[in-house]
Amino acid sequence: MRVLLRILAPLLGLALAAAGVLFVIEVVAAWVRPDATTGLVVPWPDWRATLEGLTWANTPVPAIAITVAVVGLLLVLVAIAARRSDVHLDAPSPEIAVTTAPRVLARLVGTRVRATDDVAGASVTASARKVSVSAQSWNDSTPELRSTVTSRVDDLLAELPLRRRPRVSVSVQERKGPR
Amino acid sequence: MTAPAAPTDRAPAPAPAPAPAKLRRRSRSAVARSAGGDRWTMVIVGLVLLAAGVLVALLSYGVFGAARAGRPLLDPMIVDTLRAQPLVSRIVAIVAGVVLALLGLVWASNSVRPERRPDLLIDGGPDTSIVVSSAAAADAVASQAGGLPGVGRAKARLVGDESAPALRVTLWLADDADVRDVLRRLDSHVLTTARESLGLSALPVAVRLELDRSHPTSRVA
Repeated sequence: MRVLLRILAPLLGLALAAAGVLFVIEVVAAWVRPDATTGLVVPWPDWRATLEGLTWANTPVPAIAITVAVVGLLLVLVAIAARRSDVHLDAPSPEIAVTTAPRVLARLVGTRVRATDDVAGASVTASARKVSVSAQSWNDSTPELRSTVTSRVDDLLAELPLRRRPRVSVSVQERKGPR
Repeated sequence: MTAPAAPTDRAPAPAPAPAPAKLRRRSRSAVARSAGGDRWTMVIVGLVLLAAGVLVALLSYGVFGAARAGRPLLDPMIVDTLRAQPLVSRIVAIVAGVVLALLGLVWASNSVRPERRPDLLIDGGPDTSIVVSSAAAADAVASQAGGLPGVGRAKARLVGDESAPALRVTLWLADDADVRDVLRRLDSHVLTTARESLGLSALPVAVRLELDRSHPTSRVA
Protein backbone atom coordinates (compact mmCIF):
# COMPACT_ATOMS: atom_id res chain seq x y z
CA MET A 1 0.00 0.00 0.00
CA ARG A 2 2.95 2.35 0.58
CA VAL A 3 3.93 1.91 -3.07
CA LEU A 4 0.38 2.79 -4.12
CA LEU A 5 0.51 5.85 -1.84
CA ARG A 6 3.85 6.91 -3.35
CA ILE A 7 2.34 6.64 -6.85
CA LEU A 8 -1.05 8.19 -6.10
CA ALA A 9 0.14 11.14 -4.00
CA PRO A 10 2.10 13.00 -6.72
CA LEU A 11 -0.53 12.14 -9.35
CA LEU A 12 -3.33 13.56 -7.19
CA GLY A 13 -1.21 16.62 -6.41
CA LEU A 14 -0.60 17.24 -10.10
CA ALA A 15 -4.29 16.70 -10.87
CA LEU A 16 -5.25 19.30 -8.24
CA ALA A 17 -2.66 21.73 -9.60
CA ALA A 18 -3.87 21.20 -13.18
CA ALA A 19 -7.48 21.77 -12.14
CA GLY A 20 -6.50 24.99 -10.35
CA VAL A 21 -4.51 26.29 -13.33
CA LEU A 22 -7.30 25.48 -15.81
CA PHE A 23 -9.81 27.17 -13.53
CA VAL A 24 -7.73 30.36 -13.33
CA ILE A 25 -7.10 30.36 -17.10
CA GLU A 26 -10.79 30.05 -17.91
CA VAL A 27 -11.89 32.69 -15.38
CA VAL A 28 -9.32 35.19 -16.67
CA ALA A 29 -10.15 34.32 -20.31
CA ALA A 30 -13.86 34.84 -19.69
CA TRP A 31 -13.05 38.14 -17.96
CA VAL A 32 -10.94 39.59 -20.79
CA ARG A 33 -13.11 38.11 -23.62
CA PRO A 34 -16.68 38.80 -22.48
CA ASP A 35 -18.10 38.13 -25.95
CA ALA A 36 -16.46 34.74 -26.46
CA THR A 37 -18.84 31.80 -26.81
CA THR A 38 -16.30 29.03 -26.24
CA GLY A 39 -13.76 28.35 -23.53
CA LEU A 40 -10.04 28.87 -24.07
CA VAL A 41 -8.94 25.36 -23.08
CA VAL A 42 -12.04 23.52 -21.85
CA PRO A 43 -15.54 23.78 -23.36
CA TRP A 44 -17.10 25.13 -20.17
CA PRO A 45 -20.08 26.88 -21.93
CA ASP A 46 -21.23 23.41 -23.08
CA TRP A 47 -20.73 22.04 -19.57
CA ARG A 48 -22.71 24.97 -18.15
CA ALA A 49 -25.61 24.28 -20.51
CA THR A 50 -25.58 20.61 -19.48
CA LEU A 51 -25.50 21.47 -15.76
CA GLU A 52 -28.37 23.95 -16.19
CA GLY A 53 -30.46 21.27 -17.87
CA LEU A 54 -29.82 18.53 -15.28
CA THR A 55 -31.52 18.28 -11.90
CA TRP A 56 -30.07 16.56 -8.83
CA ALA A 57 -32.53 13.70 -9.30
CA ASN A 58 -31.63 13.00 -12.96
CA THR A 59 -30.15 9.65 -13.81
CA PRO A 60 -26.37 10.11 -13.99
CA VAL A 61 -26.10 12.33 -10.91
CA PRO A 62 -26.62 9.73 -8.12
CA ALA A 63 -24.34 7.23 -9.88
CA ILE A 64 -21.58 9.83 -10.24
CA ALA A 65 -22.03 10.88 -6.59
CA ILE A 66 -21.76 7.28 -5.39
CA THR A 67 -18.66 6.77 -7.57
CA VAL A 68 -17.04 9.89 -6.09
CA ALA A 69 -17.89 8.69 -2.56
CA VAL A 70 -16.38 5.25 -3.27
CA VAL A 71 -13.21 6.81 -4.70
CA GLY A 72 -12.94 9.00 -1.59
CA LEU A 73 -13.39 5.98 0.66
CA LEU A 74 -10.72 4.07 -1.27
CA LEU A 75 -8.28 6.98 -0.90
CA VAL A 76 -8.90 7.05 2.86
CA LEU A 77 -8.39 3.28 3.10
CA VAL A 78 -5.17 3.41 1.05
CA ALA A 79 -3.83 6.20 3.28
CA ILE A 80 -4.72 4.30 6.47
CA ALA A 81 -3.31 0.99 5.20
CA ALA A 82 -0.03 2.61 4.11
CA ARG A 83 1.37 2.66 7.63
CA ARG A 84 4.61 0.79 8.32
CA SER A 85 4.23 -2.71 9.70
CA ASP A 86 7.69 -2.96 11.25
CA VAL A 87 8.66 -5.37 13.97
CA HIS A 88 10.48 -3.41 16.70
CA LEU A 89 13.43 -4.82 18.60
CA ASP A 90 15.07 -3.72 21.82
CA ALA A 91 18.12 -1.54 21.23
CA PRO A 92 21.27 -1.44 23.35
CA SER A 93 20.95 2.33 23.88
CA PRO A 94 18.13 4.89 23.76
CA GLU A 95 19.48 6.68 20.70
CA ILE A 96 19.19 3.53 18.56
CA ALA A 97 15.93 2.30 17.07
CA VAL A 98 16.00 -1.24 15.69
CA THR A 99 13.37 -2.58 13.33
CA THR A 100 12.93 -5.42 10.93
CA ALA A 101 10.30 -6.51 8.45
CA PRO A 102 7.65 -9.11 9.30
CA ARG A 103 8.90 -11.21 6.36
CA VAL A 104 12.33 -11.42 8.03
CA LEU A 105 10.72 -12.75 11.20
CA ALA A 106 8.66 -15.17 9.09
CA ARG A 107 11.78 -16.41 7.29
CA LEU A 108 13.64 -16.97 10.57
CA VAL A 109 10.70 -18.90 12.00
CA GLY A 110 10.27 -20.88 8.79
CA THR A 111 13.94 -21.87 8.72
CA ARG A 112 13.77 -23.02 12.35
CA VAL A 113 10.54 -24.98 11.84
CA ARG A 114 11.70 -26.70 8.66
CA ALA A 115 14.83 -27.87 10.48
CA THR A 116 12.63 -29.97 12.78
CA ASP A 117 12.96 -33.68 11.97
CA ASP A 118 9.34 -34.66 11.36
CA VAL A 119 8.38 -31.52 9.45
CA ALA A 120 8.03 -31.97 5.70
CA GLY A 121 7.31 -28.31 4.97
CA ALA A 122 5.97 -25.17 6.55
CA SER A 123 4.45 -21.84 5.68
CA VAL A 124 4.71 -18.92 8.07
CA THR A 125 2.98 -15.56 8.31
CA ALA A 126 4.28 -13.07 10.83
CA SER A 127 3.48 -9.65 12.19
CA ALA A 128 4.58 -7.75 15.28
CA ARG A 129 1.66 -9.27 17.16
CA LYS A 130 1.25 -12.78 15.86
CA VAL A 131 3.22 -15.56 14.23
CA SER A 132 1.19 -18.26 12.49
CA VAL A 133 2.87 -21.48 11.42
CA SER A 134 1.24 -24.06 9.20
CA ALA A 135 3.46 -27.14 9.23
CA GLN A 136 3.15 -30.30 7.19
CA SER A 137 4.16 -33.50 8.91
CA TRP A 138 5.15 -36.88 7.48
CA ASN A 139 2.48 -39.50 7.97
CA ASP A 140 4.69 -41.43 10.40
CA SER A 141 5.43 -38.45 12.61
CA THR A 142 4.79 -38.38 16.34
CA PRO A 143 1.58 -36.83 17.72
CA GLU A 144 3.63 -34.38 19.81
CA LEU A 145 4.85 -32.58 16.69
CA ARG A 146 2.66 -29.53 17.27
CA SER A 147 4.08 -28.91 20.73
CA THR A 148 7.61 -29.54 19.42
CA VAL A 149 7.16 -26.94 16.69
CA THR A 150 5.60 -24.48 19.15
CA SER A 151 8.51 -24.97 21.51
CA ARG A 152 11.07 -24.38 18.77
CA VAL A 153 9.32 -21.19 17.66
CA ASP A 154 9.14 -20.00 21.29
CA ASP A 155 12.86 -20.66 21.69
CA LEU A 156 13.62 -18.63 18.58
CA LEU A 157 11.47 -15.71 19.72
CA ALA A 158 13.21 -15.79 23.12
CA GLU A 159 16.58 -15.53 21.37
CA LEU A 160 15.51 -12.42 19.48
CA PRO A 161 15.41 -9.11 21.41
CA LEU A 162 11.82 -8.40 20.35
CA ARG A 163 10.22 -5.46 22.08
CA ARG A 164 6.88 -7.21 22.02
CA ARG A 165 6.67 -10.99 22.02
CA PRO A 166 4.16 -12.09 19.33
CA ARG A 167 1.58 -14.77 19.97
CA VAL A 168 2.41 -18.09 18.35
CA SER A 169 -0.18 -20.18 16.58
CA VAL A 170 0.80 -23.55 15.11
CA SER A 171 -1.27 -25.91 13.02
CA VAL A 172 -0.05 -29.27 11.70
CA GLN A 173 -1.40 -31.11 8.68
CA GLU A 174 -0.33 -34.55 7.68
CA ARG A 175 1.29 -34.94 4.27
CA LYS A 176 0.20 -38.04 2.40
CA GLY A 177 2.74 -40.33 0.77
CA PRO A 178 6.09 -41.81 1.67
CA ARG A 179 8.81 -39.77 3.32
CA MET B 1 35.87 15.15 3.21
CA THR B 2 37.22 18.73 3.38
CA ALA B 3 39.04 20.55 6.13
CA PRO B 4 39.65 24.17 5.12
CA ALA B 5 40.87 27.11 7.24
CA ALA B 6 43.52 27.52 9.83
CA PRO B 7 44.58 25.18 12.64
CA THR B 8 43.37 25.77 16.16
CA ASP B 9 45.16 25.79 19.49
CA ARG B 10 42.48 24.02 21.50
CA ALA B 11 39.93 21.30 20.77
CA PRO B 12 36.31 22.45 20.91
CA ALA B 13 34.04 21.03 23.57
CA PRO B 14 31.30 18.84 22.07
CA ALA B 15 27.79 20.21 22.22
CA PRO B 16 25.68 18.83 25.08
CA ALA B 17 23.69 15.74 24.14
CA PRO B 18 19.94 16.18 23.64
CA ALA B 19 17.51 14.55 26.04
CA PRO B 20 17.09 10.76 25.67
CA ALA B 21 13.42 11.14 24.72
CA LYS B 22 14.36 13.51 21.91
CA LEU B 23 17.10 11.17 20.71
CA ARG B 24 14.67 8.26 20.75
CA ARG B 25 12.17 10.24 18.70
CA ARG B 26 14.83 11.24 16.17
CA SER B 27 16.11 7.69 15.85
CA ARG B 28 12.58 6.38 15.28
CA SER B 29 11.87 8.97 12.63
CA ALA B 30 15.09 7.99 10.85
CA VAL B 31 13.85 4.41 10.33
CA ALA B 32 12.42 5.28 6.93
CA ARG B 33 11.37 8.23 4.87
CA SER B 34 8.18 9.59 6.38
CA ALA B 35 4.96 9.20 4.42
CA GLY B 36 2.94 11.06 7.07
CA GLY B 37 2.38 14.15 4.95
CA ASP B 38 1.15 12.15 1.96
CA ARG B 39 -1.08 10.02 4.16
CA TRP B 40 -2.72 12.96 5.92
CA THR B 41 -3.26 14.87 2.67
CA MET B 42 -4.77 11.81 1.04
CA VAL B 43 -7.05 11.23 4.02
CA ILE B 44 -8.28 14.84 3.80
CA VAL B 45 -8.85 14.64 0.02
CA GLY B 46 -10.58 11.27 0.44
CA LEU B 47 -12.85 12.55 3.22
CA VAL B 48 -13.80 15.61 1.15
CA LEU B 49 -14.70 13.39 -1.82
CA LEU B 50 -16.55 10.95 0.44
CA ALA B 51 -18.57 13.70 2.14
CA ALA B 52 -19.38 15.41 -1.16
CA GLY B 53 -20.42 12.14 -2.80
CA VAL B 54 -22.61 11.10 0.11
CA LEU B 55 -24.30 14.50 0.41
CA VAL B 56 -25.01 14.69 -3.34
CA ALA B 57 -26.32 11.10 -3.34
CA LEU B 58 -28.65 11.91 -0.41
CA LEU B 59 -29.77 15.08 -2.17
CA SER B 60 -30.41 13.12 -5.38
CA TYR B 61 -32.54 10.51 -3.60
CA GLY B 62 -34.71 13.23 -2.05
CA VAL B 63 -33.54 12.91 1.55
CA PHE B 64 -33.42 16.71 1.82
CA GLY B 65 -36.80 17.08 0.09
CA ALA B 66 -38.19 16.39 -3.38
CA ALA B 67 -38.20 20.10 -4.24
CA ARG B 68 -34.45 20.39 -3.65
CA ALA B 69 -33.79 17.25 -5.67
CA GLY B 70 -35.73 18.77 -8.58
CA ARG B 71 -33.57 21.93 -8.77
CA PRO B 72 -30.96 22.16 -11.55
CA LEU B 73 -27.34 21.40 -10.73
CA LEU B 74 -26.31 24.92 -11.73
CA ASP B 75 -28.98 26.71 -9.76
CA PRO B 76 -30.20 30.00 -11.36
CA MET B 77 -30.34 31.49 -7.88
CA ILE B 78 -26.59 30.97 -7.43
CA VAL B 79 -25.84 32.19 -10.97
CA ASP B 80 -27.84 35.38 -10.32
CA THR B 81 -25.95 35.97 -7.06
CA LEU B 82 -22.61 35.61 -8.86
CA ARG B 83 -23.71 37.90 -11.67
CA ALA B 84 -24.78 40.56 -9.16
CA GLN B 85 -21.17 40.81 -7.88
CA PRO B 86 -19.03 40.02 -10.97
CA LEU B 87 -15.76 41.55 -9.74
CA VAL B 88 -15.87 39.87 -6.34
CA SER B 89 -16.90 36.54 -7.93
CA ARG B 90 -14.02 36.63 -10.41
CA ILE B 91 -11.44 37.57 -7.80
CA VAL B 92 -12.65 34.85 -5.43
CA ALA B 93 -12.59 32.32 -8.29
CA ILE B 94 -9.04 33.30 -9.32
CA VAL B 95 -7.78 33.17 -5.73
CA ALA B 96 -9.43 29.76 -5.25
CA GLY B 97 -7.82 28.45 -8.45
CA VAL B 98 -4.39 29.78 -7.49
CA VAL B 99 -4.68 28.26 -3.99
CA LEU B 100 -5.74 24.92 -5.49
CA ALA B 101 -2.82 24.97 -7.96
CA LEU B 102 -0.30 25.88 -5.25
CA LEU B 103 -1.58 23.19 -2.87
CA GLY B 104 -1.38 20.58 -5.62
CA LEU B 105 2.13 21.63 -6.66
CA VAL B 106 3.38 21.65 -3.05
CA TRP B 107 1.87 18.20 -2.44
CA ALA B 108 3.34 16.75 -5.64
CA SER B 109 6.78 18.27 -5.11
CA ASN B 110 6.93 17.08 -1.49
CA SER B 111 5.98 13.58 -2.62
CA VAL B 112 8.69 13.22 -5.24
CA ARG B 113 11.44 15.23 -3.53
CA PRO B 114 14.45 13.02 -2.75
CA GLU B 115 15.35 12.50 0.87
CA ARG B 116 18.00 14.86 2.20
CA ARG B 117 21.52 13.61 2.87
CA PRO B 118 23.03 16.20 5.19
CA ASP B 119 26.75 16.82 5.38
CA LEU B 120 28.13 16.96 8.89
CA LEU B 121 29.44 20.33 10.03
CA ILE B 122 32.00 19.88 12.74
CA ASP B 123 33.11 22.84 14.76
CA GLY B 124 36.90 22.67 14.77
CA GLY B 125 37.41 25.84 16.77
CA PRO B 126 37.05 29.59 16.31
CA ASP B 127 38.77 29.65 12.88
CA THR B 128 38.15 26.17 11.60
CA SER B 129 35.12 24.45 10.23
CA ILE B 130 35.21 20.87 9.05
CA VAL B 131 32.68 19.44 6.63
CA VAL B 132 32.33 15.69 6.46
CA SER B 133 30.36 14.71 3.40
CA SER B 134 27.30 12.57 3.94
CA ALA B 135 28.62 9.82 1.67
CA ALA B 136 32.02 9.70 3.40
CA ALA B 137 30.54 9.38 6.89
CA ALA B 138 27.98 6.80 5.77
CA ASP B 139 30.55 4.71 3.86
CA ALA B 140 32.87 4.66 6.87
CA VAL B 141 30.09 3.41 9.15
CA ALA B 142 28.88 0.87 6.57
CA SER B 143 32.33 -0.60 6.01
CA GLN B 144 32.89 -0.98 9.75
CA ALA B 145 29.44 -2.46 10.33
CA GLY B 146 29.89 -4.88 7.44
CA GLY B 147 32.91 -6.39 9.22
CA LEU B 148 30.99 -7.34 12.36
CA PRO B 149 30.57 -11.08 13.01
CA GLY B 150 27.21 -12.28 11.67
CA VAL B 151 26.80 -9.34 9.29
CA GLY B 152 26.94 -10.22 5.60
CA ARG B 153 26.81 -6.68 4.29
CA ALA B 154 25.80 -3.27 5.51
CA LYS B 155 24.55 -0.01 4.09
CA ALA B 156 24.36 3.36 5.81
CA ARG B 157 23.18 6.85 4.98
CA LEU B 158 22.78 10.10 6.82
CA VAL B 159 19.25 11.51 6.98
CA GLY B 160 17.59 14.53 8.55
CA ASP B 161 19.00 18.03 8.32
CA GLU B 162 22.37 19.58 9.12
CA SER B 163 21.30 20.73 12.56
CA ALA B 164 19.87 17.34 13.58
CA PRO B 165 21.42 14.56 11.51
CA ALA B 166 20.63 10.90 12.06
CA LEU B 167 22.07 7.72 10.69
CA ARG B 168 20.12 4.94 8.97
CA VAL B 169 21.95 1.63 8.93
CA THR B 170 20.72 -1.49 7.16
CA LEU B 171 22.36 -4.76 8.16
CA TRP B 172 21.98 -7.98 6.20
CA LEU B 173 22.50 -10.71 8.76
CA ALA B 174 23.49 -14.33 8.29
CA ASP B 175 20.81 -16.87 9.23
CA ASP B 176 22.80 -17.98 12.28
CA ALA B 177 23.69 -14.47 13.49
CA ASP B 178 23.23 -13.60 17.16
CA VAL B 179 21.09 -10.48 16.86
CA ARG B 180 21.74 -9.23 20.40
CA ASP B 181 25.49 -9.60 19.93
CA VAL B 182 25.42 -7.85 16.55
CA LEU B 183 23.49 -4.89 17.98
CA ARG B 184 25.76 -4.67 21.02
CA ARG B 185 28.90 -4.71 18.86
CA LEU B 186 27.38 -2.20 16.44
CA ASP B 187 26.74 0.20 19.32
CA SER B 188 30.01 -0.29 21.19
CA HIS B 189 32.41 -0.69 18.26
CA VAL B 190 30.98 1.11 15.24
CA LEU B 191 28.64 3.84 16.45
CA THR B 192 30.75 4.91 19.42
CA THR B 193 33.77 5.19 17.13
CA ALA B 194 31.72 7.16 14.61
CA ARG B 195 30.49 9.60 17.26
CA GLU B 196 33.98 10.09 18.66
CA SER B 197 35.68 10.54 15.31
CA LEU B 198 33.00 12.93 14.08
CA GLY B 199 33.03 14.85 17.36
CA LEU B 200 29.29 14.37 17.89
CA SER B 201 27.87 14.18 21.38
CA ALA B 202 24.87 12.26 20.05
CA LEU B 203 23.97 10.61 16.77
CA PRO B 204 20.51 9.00 16.61
CA VAL B 205 20.65 5.77 14.66
CA ALA B 206 17.91 3.70 13.04
CA VAL B 207 18.98 0.12 12.38
CA ARG B 208 17.10 -1.99 9.87
CA LEU B 209 17.73 -5.72 10.04
CA GLU B 210 17.42 -7.86 6.93
CA LEU B 211 18.47 -11.41 6.23
CA ASP B 212 21.29 -12.08 3.83
CA ARG B 213 20.57 -14.33 0.87
CA SER B 214 20.27 -17.86 2.16
CA HIS B 215 22.23 -20.70 0.65
CA PRO B 216 19.80 -23.63 0.81
CA THR B 217 21.35 -26.90 1.80
CA SER B 218 19.78 -30.30 1.62
CA ARG B 219 18.71 -31.91 4.88
CA VAL B 220 19.38 -35.31 3.35
CA ALA B 221 22.99 -36.40 3.39
